[in-house]
Amino acid sequence: MTGSPLVAVLAASLALADCEQSYPELVIINNTAESILVRNPSFNGCRWNQVLALGQATTPGRCLPGTDRVHFEKYDVREQLDELEARAGDAGSVDADPGELRPMWFPYQTRTVRRVGCGELYRFELRLDDMEQDFAVPGPYGH
Amino acid sequence: MKRYALAALLASIVPLPRAAGQKAPASQPTAPNAAGEQDDAHPLYEVVVTARRPIARDNTADSTTVSGARLRDSPRPTLLESLAQESADLYVTGRGAGVHGVASGASGSVHVRGLGGSPNSQVLVVEDSVPDYQGIFGHPIPDAYVPFLVDQVLVVKGGDSVLYGSNALGAVIVIRNRWRDREGFELHSDAAYGSFDTVRESAALLGRVGRLDVATAASVLRTDGHRAGAGGGTVVGQVALRYRPADGLRLALRQKVLHLQGGDPGPVTHPFTDHWFDVWRSNTSAEGRYRRGRLRLGATPYLNVGVHRLHDGFYSRDYGAGGNLEADWRIAAPVRLLLGLAGEWIEARVEDRVAGVRQPVEPLGSGSLYQQLTLRPAAGLSIVAGARELLSNRYGFVLLYKGGVRWQIYRGLWARSRLTRNFRQPTLRELYLPFPTANPELRPEYSLNADLELGYDTEHVELSVSGYRSYAEDMIRYFGSWPGAEVVNIDSIAIWGVEARMGLKRMGPVDAFITGNWQDVGRYTRQNPSAKINVSLEASRRRGRHLVGGRAAGEWVHGLYMENYSRDRIDDLFVLDLTLRYRYTRPGCSLEPYLIIRNLVDSRYAYIKGYPMPGLNALGGLKLRL
Repeated sequence: MTGSPLVAVLAASLALADCEQSYPELVIINNTAESILVRNPSFNGCRWNQVLALGQATTPGRCLPGTDRVHFEKYDVREQLDELEARAGDAGSVDADPGELRPMWFPYQTRTVRRVGCGELYRFELRLDDMEQDFAVPGPYGH
Repeated sequence: MKRYALAALLASIVPLPRAAGQKAPASQPTAPNAAGEQDDAHPLYEVVVTARRPIARDNTADSTTVSGARLRDSPRPTLLESLAQESADLYVTGRGAGVHGVASGASGSVHVRGLGGSPNSQVLVVEDSVPDYQGIFGHPIPDAYVPFLVDQVLVVKGGDSVLYGSNALGAVIVIRNRWRDREGFELHSDAAYGSFDTVRESAALLGRVGRLDVATAASVLRTDGHRAGAGGGTVVGQVALRYRPADGLRLALRQKVLHLQGGDPGPVTHPFTDHWFDVWRSNTSAEGRYRRGRLRLGATPYLNVGVHRLHDGFYSRDYGAGGNLEADWRIAAPVRLLLGLAGEWIEARVEDRVAGVRQPVEPLGSGSLYQQLTLRPAAGLSIVAGARELLSNRYGFVLLYKGGVRWQIYRGLWARSRLTRNFRQPTLRELYLPFPTANPELRPEYSLNADLELGYDTEHVELSVSGYRSYAEDMIRYFGSWPGAEVVNIDSIAIWGVEARMGLKRMGPVDAFITGNWQDVGRYTRQNPSAKINVSLEASRRRGRHLVGGRAAGEWVHGLYMENYSRDRIDDLFVLDLTLRYRYTRPGCSLEPYLIIRNLVDSRYAYIKGYPMPGLNALGGLKLRL
């Protein structure tokens, strides 16, 4: 007598409990430029703690359904070298502090807002013509 | 809800022909018949009525009482969110599948009639007569409260610093845990599994052997969360022992331990994966109660200790010690006097383990006397007046007071009104700690809250309308962001509002309930919604040993902003949860599989901007009682 409702409720709960498995999957690909490295890309709750060189992609990650831009940190090696070269001028060498030689990572985001839905795999490319500075980065941590 | 308080009270009234173990007298007195003669057919037994002490000590206060059983059956993930479902003027934020967390990105902030919020230092939680808050930040830990051992929860709206002291500025949440009231043991277990790999297991053992009572419970929750970084877990263990050496005398000892782990997932657009926290808390208290005739005496010493570690190197140990002595004397039938003496001491050690810097903190302490006089000059009329004289080591003498009246006008029609002046001392964080800034010159906050309520209760209908004004002065608020942030006292704020509730009870197998709140919060809009409605519809059908039931509970929130001055609006939200349960009962045991479906319509919503709540998700479990 008690068996059937028990089995029905437990079966329904297991089926529903698995619903987050249908959350969208996402891959981010760095298709910007050879001199640009992309770090810690994120999209709608999913974040990859990795650095992508040109042509490299993240592993598939699950994010929440909805809309967002891809947010990431950008380091342009060429830009930093050009700056150092400009300072060196005709002398051919520059007296730089070690701090000035550190990679300069800046927050960026895509201009395009993208929508993702359940049950799909998405491949989002980062391109030079679709990025802008990201001024919405959270401030210092509080308590 | 008042009806649950009433139901619980009635259920607890056990008429006993004679005390257990007492032999029947050789001959029973009998009732006189119409002719004035003794009637042998209707013996007159001595009737002893026992009942639990009401959780509310001031019946002129606007309050909501919710039974532990209702909280345990709630589809909402945490106790505070379950409470918010019962009263529209109580607003609690959430961010996921069961862990509120601490520090940045935490949820579980409580607003009652416009006061409270971030942090919750204006709403005091009192568990088994012990004020419970983190010593440094002055707020309760929302994850510390699990309903498994809860007997009743009372929400006192408008606060009550006369009875509860500092921090009871906007409201008091009074939690009373349960004891078994009959000889023997009972074992409860609730195991559930659900979306996001959420595992919940609770077990409680209650027993009474002779003069000894035991109540112990353990509750474990672990979840991956609905997005990266949102996972976490809580472990709560409680042990309570009570000894009754003589009639009217009770001595109890309680120990509660919480371990909370998790992380701040960050705004959805800029998520974090490493902003973890690790919290240990221990609450130890003793309780002595003595009752003789019209006099009740009580003493409750306590010690709360916490250790908090955060990902950025923050490490703290906080200590809160105190106690209270109370005498409740029913001088005559219409006059009752409550006298109390209370004291507390808060101390902390705080350091940045990354930088190796220790922050200097000076302890806070206070002692106070309080009095409450209850008069019942006529049938159905109660008048309450009270005062607390508080002496703080930092702020000197503080006078707090209140006055209220309740009148049972005619049958189910009643009215009540109350005015109360409350107090909150600044927290150690606000005074000394650079998170993000501190100000040792801060003054305490005061509130002067007033309300007027009219209600009508019958067997099947419950109606009430309450108008209120929350007024606070010298409010402490943070402005700006590091390194230019400051924390200062601001001028006064006044919030006007109306709360209404309607319930249809026992209409066949159906109960329906709706409560709504509207308030004008002015420019003080940060996480302070202007309107909220909660609805619930439940039905159950019993056939013999089988019971099938369900409950749908919905919440609508309007006028929600992330910042003051109506900046950074959050979309109105609507969420609907559903519980389905089947219970099979045999003498001495019951088995209850259940299914909770949260966010049934899969709406996209958030209480905190950047922290979206989960979509459709479920939790299925099995309750067992032996």
